[in-house]
Amino acid sequence: MIPLENFLVLSGILFAIGFYGVLARRSAILILVSVELMLAAVSINFVAFASYLDPDFFTGIIFSIFVIVVAAAEVGLALGIVLRAYRERATANVDEANNLKW
Amino acid sequence: MGMEQVGLLPAILAGAFVVVALFNAFLPRRGDWLVILAMLAVIVIGFLVIKDFQTYFHDGEFMPRGENAYSFEWVNIGDGLFVIDFSTWVDSITVVMITVVSIVALMVMVYSVGYMHGEQRYGWYYAVLALFTAAMLTLVISGNLLITYFAWEGVGLASFLLIGFYWERQSAAEAAKKAFITTRIGDVGFLIGIILLWREAGTFDIQQIIHFAEEGGFGETYLTVTMLFLFMGAVGKSAQFPLHVWLPDAMEGPTPVSALIHAATMVVAGVYLVARMMPVFDQVLIARDVVLYTGLITAAMAATMGLVASDIKRVLAFSTVSQLGFMFVALGLGSVSAAMFHLFTHAFFKALLFLGSGSVIHATERQEVEYLGGLRKKQPITAATFIIGSLALAGIIPLAGFWSKDEILHTSLNEGSLPVYVVLATTAVLTAIYTTRLVLLTFFGEPRDHHAYDHAHESPRIMTMPLLILSVLAVVAGFVVFTPVGKALGFSGGITELVFVEEPEKFHFDGAFALGATLSALFGIGIGLAYWWGRAERAERARSWAPELHALLVNRYYMDDLYQAIINRVVLGAAAVIALFDKRVVNESGIDGGAQSVSWFGFRLKFLQTGKIPNYALAMAVGVVALALVAFRTS
Amino acid sequence: MQRIALPSQIDRVIVGGSLVAGAVLVPVLVVLIALLGADRISGPELVWWLLALIIVAAALGAVLLRNVVRAALCLVIVALGIAGMFLLLASEFLALVQVLVYGGGVTILLLFGLMLTNAQDDPVVQDGSQKPFAFGVGIALGAVIVIAMTDATWNTGTRSVVAFRALGDRLYRDFGVPFEVASLVLLVALVGAIAISRRDRDEEEVA
Repeated sequence: MIPLENFLVLSGILFAIGFYGVLARRSAILILVSVELMLAAVSINFVAFASYLDPDFFTGIIFSIFVIVVAAAEVGLALGIVLRAYRERATANVDEANNLKW
Repeated sequence: MGMEQVGLLPAILAGAFVVVALFNAFLPRRGDWLVILAMLAVIVIGFLVIKDFQTYFHDGEFMPRGENAYSFEWVNIGDGLFVIDFSTWVDSITVVMITVVSIVALMVMVYSVGYMHGEQRYGWYYAVLALFTAAMLTLVISGNLLITYFAWEGVGLASFLLIGFYWERQSAAEAAKKAFITTRIGDVGFLIGIILLWREAGTFDIQQIIHFAEEGGFGETYLTVTMLFLFMGAVGKSAQFPLHVWLPDAMEGPTPVSALIHAATMVVAGVYLVARMMPVFDQVLIARDVVLYTGLITAAMAATMGLVASDIKRVLAFSTVSQLGFMFVALGLGSVSAAMFHLFTHAFFKALLFLGSGSVIHATERQEVEYLGGLRKKQPITAATFIIGSLALAGIIPLAGFWSKDEILHTSLNEGSLPVYVVLATTAVLTAIYTTRLVLLTFFGEPRDHHAYDHAHESPRIMTMPLLILSVLAVVAGFVVFTPVGKALGFSGGITELVFVEEPEKFHFDGAFALGATLSALFGIGIGLAYWWGRAERAERARSWAPELHALLVNRYYMDDLYQAIINRVVLGAAAVIALFDKRVVNESGIDGGAQSVSWFGFRLKFLQTGKIPNYALAMAVGVVALALVAFRTS
Repeated sequence: MQRIALPSQIDRVIVGGSLVAGAVLVPVLVVLIALLGADRISGPELVWWLLALIIVAAALGAVLLRNVVRAALCLVIVALGIAGMFLLLASEFLALVQVLVYGGGVTILLLFGLMLTNAQDDPVVQDGSQKPFAFGVGIALGAVIVIAMTDATWNTGTRSVVAFRALGDRLYRDFGVPFEVASLVLLVALVGAIAISRRDRDEEEVA
């Protein structure tokens, strides 16, 4: 039987990789890709916990479903925002959007 | 009703003050009747208090000396750790003071109805009079030094407000400021003295402090210094040398105010304070000697200055300072009774003199004696009462001033030394001289300013009535020392025992001594008559007799100039240094510097805000990792 | 045999990718089979290791590759690998959903986004000044999570396959309201996406 730690460590590594991507990428679309990685990592975590620690109620799986739903919604909405921003500013690079500057 | 109601005395007037000060515009006659009614109520209650106090007499013995008639807990810090009671103390001194303050205050309030008629801020005037009387009564019934100090400052405030009543006039504003600051110098000493007493005795209660001192709880030197600080307060308030300079200028206030505050009541607060603390002063004779010689110097000096002053009110002011000096001499000799007796009689005849001078000023709108003269024909009542007051001041038997001044002279010879007596007796002669001069120049001779003379008229009845009452008091107030008189007034033990608390200090009448005193007073009057009776050139001759001396006296021994020079050089110099410090260090380095450093850092740190979201996300991530590490460490 | 002319790019991708994958996977596969043969690991564990390797490799590709399309396609590989993981975790339904939503919808959406924004290849050289910091933070965060996960002790119970019926019961009975809310969220998100990305009328006139 595969130890639970395996899944957890995999999810942690995946999460860290996604996080690196969020920080390092410039293109908004690629940042979205990285965010999807992080969400996937979280999904693994949920499901692993659900099937190892809570096999009778598997609430984690339910939550995983919701995570996927929210991820889908988020991607749709984020793409809308990116397109809008691209049209306004002619770029999809987040580091060129510095409206928050002093 | 009895002594427990003693707390009501100031409370009634304080209430009147609040009502009149706030709502005088809505009250008929601006609320003066309210203040006078309150004053009448105070007199009634004060009478009941005194009546109740009489029950302390048993077979001519006076037991106990006083009583804490009314008290409540005022401050309680730390649940009993530091408690101050609002305590009162009613004894013979208190009773005398209540009598003096309430009678003179009522007379002045009635008189003011005529004198201040039609004034702007008429209501405010009455409000401050009520405030003053309330504070003065608090002062005399207080059994706790902290409350004494509180009331002390209260009367100072009222004095300031009334001296500066005509604040549109530059000189009045200056005089108010001068009075306040000069007395403030003494008040600081008073406060230091209170704190020093509290430091050793651990209480503000006067009787406990006296008890502590009598048991030798204080060190000798410590107590001497402390009592000198306390005496500083009395010096400031009672206008003694060297802080006497404010009182002549205080005559800028309305004349009834001068009568009440700057002659009869507030200025004797210093005498009252020293009398109240006398058992403590008795422990340190050096301090008592300081009191004695301060009084002596003041009495002589002020009398000489009174000789040449031309303003009718200033003459009276110098006379007040001089008479206060007499009281301090008596205190310095340890005779509370003599001092309080003189305080008692002096209050009546000096108030009478001031109100009389007010009547003259009211009629002629002149107050320099050079422009007066011959007014006895126009103002017969004023002239008559004024002359009675003057004779009382000069000390002619059997007027009130004679008895008390004689008592002080007697004490000075018995308890003091011959030089002290000689100086005092000479001063008494000088008193007679300047009093005669004042009367002659004002009411006799030819009118020197016909315009003023022609407009002069007798004052309305509301003003002459107080004059008449006070002149009666000026005649009879001295008789209270005789037991039968006291009995006739319905006091079982006679008023004598009120003033002369302790048996050895019973009033003693010495025929030969009294004759000598009367003769010397008559001698003084004779000199005055010889110089100032008749034509003006004889008065002029007095001036040219010794011009340098005259200039010295007119300029009040140059003490005002000296103080002004000290203020200009030392105080303003120090102020300039402090102002520079304030400008450079506090303002430019502290306040502006702080702001500048904030703006400097802000200018540089703002570049941290790139506005780029990835940067913010990075910072957030660093925070998450740091928090995780902290969580690791703690778990 | 006539040589088929493929676009050179695809050619490079296929050849290069196959070579890299082969070079990495074959030794690993050999090692794993050897271990299986020696009875050191079970069958599922072998599959897990392979999947994990693929997932991590693809995830690294997704965040490191300069070519934006390849990065997006790497996400598909990750999604499919995770679907495999779900299968290993005995929840087939979730695996199916994962394939459908990620492999289908999300990836397509992302590719459309790339197309519509004329996304350039991610320039490495001028690329994000904070990349080194991001690298450090990523490593630190990963380390923290991994240490935390391995540090803890889990009392694992017995596992069983989650039946579709049981899942349906749980989802629609116990989580009925959240489910409806989630669908509302989706609806709002889609309407919002349309509303945001729609051209304004005056912009159309200008265009």
